[in-house]
Amino acid sequence: MRPILLHGHIRSLTRVKYNREGDLIFSVSKDNKPNVWYSHNGERLGSYHGHNGTVWDLDISFDSKRLLTGSADSSARLWDVQTGKELFKWNTNTAVRAVAFAQGDKKALYVTDAVMGQKSTIWVVPVEDNVEDQTDEFMLKITIDGPKATVAEWGNLNKTIITGHDDGTITVWDAETGERIKEHRTHESTITDLQFTKNRATFISSSKDCTAKISDAKTLKIMKVFTTERPVNSASISPIKPHIVLGGGQEAMSVTTTDQRHGKFEARFYHLVFEEEIGRVKGHFGPINTLAFHPDGTGYASGAEDGFIRVHHFDDDYFNFKYAEEEMIEKEAVKSAA
Amino acid sequence: MPAETINKQKLDWADDVDDDAVDQQGPITRQEDDGTRVTVEYRVNEDGKKVKITRRTRMRLVQAQVNHAVAERKKWKKFGEASGLAPGPDSNSTSFGEQVFLKLTTTLKEQDNAPSEEKNPLEKLLQSAGKNKINCRICKGDHYTYKCPYKDTHQPLDEIAAPEPAAAPEPSATHDASGKYIPPSLRNKGLGGAPPVGETMGGRGGDRRDDLSTIRITNLSEDTTEQDVKDLVSRFGHTSRVFVARDRETNTCKGFAFVSYYSKEDAEKAQNALNGYGYDNLILRVEWAKSNKD
Repeated sequence: MRPILLHGHIRSLTRVKYNREGDLIFSVSKDNKPNVWYSHNGERLGSYHGHNGTVWDLDISFDSKRLLTGSADSSARLWDVQTGKELFKWNTNTAVRAVAFAQGDKKALYVTDAVMGQKSTIWVVPVEDNVEDQTDEFMLKITIDGPKATVAEWGNLNKTIITGHDDGTITVWDAETGERIKEHRTHESTITDLQFTKNRATFISSSKDCTAKISDAKTLKIMKVFTTERPVNSASISPIKPHIVLGGGQEAMSVTTTDQRHGKFEARFYHLVFEEEIGRVKGHFGPINTLAFHPDGTGYASGAEDGFIRVHHFDDDYFNFKYAEEEMIEKEAVKSAA
Repeated sequence: MPAETINKQKLDWADDVDDDAVDQQGPITRQEDDGTRVTVEYRVNEDGKKVKITRRTRMRLVQAQVNHAVAERKKWKKFGEASGLAPGPDSNSTSFGEQVFLKLTTTLKEQDNAPSEEKNPLEKLLQSAGKNKINCRICKGDHYTYKCPYKDTHQPLDEIAAPEPAAAPEPSATHDASGKYIPPSLRNKGLGGAPPVGETMGGRGGDRRDDLSTIRITNLSEDTTEQDVKDLVSRFGHTSRVFVARDRETNTCKGFAFVSYYSKEDAEKAQNALNGYGYDNLILRVEWAKSNKD
C-alpha cells in the first residue's frame, strides 16, 4: 500500500480522528490549527483558526457538522466543520486535555489540567443545536483528587464517564451525579489513549508502561494485554477484524539519539485474541502519537511526532489474512451447516 | 532519432535549443479501437539521449454508492489555509509516500527472534572462550581497547615495557613463581645472554638466526621502515636482528617483519605486548617465527 502523507501541521500531532463515515480525517497538533482532510485522497478541506496554543484533543459530532477541540490556551472551542467558523468558546482556568461529545451531541465534556494550583476537573457542558442559545454554563463539575486525567470518554448511553489518569488508573464516574463508581489501576504509568469499540462495551487503553490493555467498560476487568518494549502512545481496535494497531516509540526527547532503523517508530499490528504481533508498518521518522482505524476498517491513519499524518488504505491481502485456527473454525462452521 | 543529432547537440548549444524545439512538439495522443488511449512523447533524458515515452491509459468508470452526507461533503468549499486552492489534493500539503508493506503473518515473533539468536551464538562463543577473550590492552578490563576509559591518558606499550626491565634481572625467578614450565635449556639465562648451544642443535647449522627468540610481526602497513620497527621493538630488549620484508620492485614493506632478540624473555615480552597492538591504523599480529623445518 502507498500511504498518503499529510503535512498540514508544523508541529507534532496530538490527535487524529475519522468522522463517523470515515470520509473526513480531523487532526490536531501542537501547533494551533486543527485541520480537516478527505481521507480517500488526502486533500485538505480546511483548517480552523482561532486557538493560540497546543491543541490536545478533538471530537467530531455524530453528523460531522461540529468539531470540538480542547487546547492548552485554556479554552475548548466548538467549530462549524464545513466553514471553519468558530461557533463557541469555553474559557477555562487551565489547559484542556481531553474533549468528547456525548452520544446524541446534546452534551460534551472537557477535562482541564492540574496546574497552577488547580485540580484536574471534568466539566460536562450542554451543547445547543442553535449556537445562539449556547452558554458557558456547566451541567456537572467533577473535581479529581489525585493524579490528573489525561484522556476521557463517555461510557455507553452517556451513563458514565471514563477517564484515564497520569498514574495509570482508569476511573468510571457517574455522569449524572459525578460520583466515582469504579477505579482500577490498569497501567503502571501515564495513560496515553483510550479508544472504545463501536458498541462501547470494551475499550483499549495505551500507556507509557509499554502495554496496551483491553478492559471491560463496566467492570474495568482487564481482558487482553498487549506488551511491547517501548511506550505505547496510541492504540486502536479494528472495527471489522480481530486486530489492533499500536503506535509509540521512545519519548520524544530521546528520539534524536536513536536510529530510525531500530524500528521503534513502526505501527504494530497485534491479533486481538492471541495477543501476538502479526505485522508492522514502517514510515514515520518519529514516534507515533496517535492512531485511528477507519470506521470501515479499510485503513488507518497515524499522526506522529514528526508532524506527518500517514493515511493507509489496506491492500487486499490484509483482508484475507487468517490464523490457521480461524480457518479451522470457519471450515467446521461450513461443515456443520451442510 | 539518429545519433547524428546527439553529436550535434554536444557540439553546439544552438543546436541543442533547436532540438528541444523539435522535442516540444508535445505528446501525440491517439485513440485505439479497444478504448485504450495511447500517448506518444519524445523527450531528451538526462544523458542527452532521446527517448520515446509511450503511455497507454484505459479509462474505466467505477460506480460506487456512497452515503448521501459523504457525497455532499465532497462538494464543500475549502476554507482556512486551504481556501482558494483548486479541487484535488494540493502538493504542498499532500503527497504520496513510498510503498510500504503490511504482511500479516503469524510467525512474526519467530522472525523477530531470529536475529537475536544469531547474536547469541556469538556471545556464547565469546563467553565459552573465557572472559579473557575481550581484554583491554591498556587496563586489562573486559572491554575492547578502543573503548577503554584510560585510552587517552595511558600508553599501553610504555606501561608494559617500563616496569618489565626492573623485573628483568631475575626473570627465572618470576617465571618459577608463576609456575610456568621453563625448558632446561632456557633456565638460568640472564638478560641479553647468548642463546644456549643446545637450542641450535635442531636448527639450521651455521645459521645464526635463533628461531626461539625470533618473533614475526605481521599486518604491518606498507610504508613501515626498518627504523620504525626498531623503535617499536627495542624497548622490550636488545635485538640482534630486525628484518623488514620488502617487495623487490617497489621496495615497500610486504607487511611482515622478523625481529630476533638476544633473550627469549624479551621476545616473549614483546610478543605479549605487541600482539594486537594498533600501529599505523592496523592491528599487529605477533607470533613466534617458525623455523623452516617445522
